[in-house]
Amino acid sequence: MFSAVVRLSASGVRSLARTRPCYTAPLASRCYSHGKAETDEEFDARWITYFNKPDIDAWELKKGMNTLIGYDLVPEPKILDSALRACRRLNDLASAIRILEAVKDKSGPHKGIYPYLIQELNPTLKELGISTPEELGMDHV
Amino acid sequence: MSLQKPIMRGLLAKRLRFHLPIAFALSLIAAAAFKYGVTEPRKQAYADFYKQYDAMKEFNGMKEAGIFESVRPSGE
Repeated sequence: MFSAVVRLSASGVRSLARTRPCYTAPLASRCYSHGKAETDEEFDARWITYFNKPDIDAWELKKGMNTLIGYDLVPEPKILDSALRACRRLNDLASAIRILEAVKDKSGPHKGIYPYLIQELNPTLKELGISTPEELGMDHV
Repeated sequence: MSLQKPIMRGLLAKRLRFHLPIAFALSLIAAAAFKYGVTEPRKQAYADFYKQYDAMKEFNGMKEAGIFESVRPSGE
């Protein structure tokens, strides 16, 4: 995130052309002068693989989610699906519901993201028996 | 009616891209306003005061008022 701040504040509109390659993948990726920047698909695949580990442990789940939440993005439904299944393997319903709360919070002022995510995750939520915070009445104080 | 996929990446970067230049510009404007609204007039006021300042006259006025210990008014 800091790299995004430095890049954008230093150059503003003038260097739009110069910084554009970095701008399209502005998450944890750095603007390397060496090596290729990771594409969005590679990023997603890496995280899906991370949560798909059959014997993932509780620490890795928490660490993974905390790291993922630190990025400047709302995780793709397929990453969340993988994470929710990891919660299922760990018998951790609390974390599953927390993940839903977290991505709603990550959306910030963009109210369209969370309904979309729930729409995409509905089959998984039904299959795994995960209630949304809204269904539990936990979405308000 | 299913929802379209919204933009989910780079939301903070987009927000900063918009707001940071504004923030910097406003900060610079605030600094410039303070400099030219406060500090420069203040400096000018001091300069104007001391342009015609007669230190000896002021000293003698203070001396006659009797505020010094090392030098007494001319009457004593």
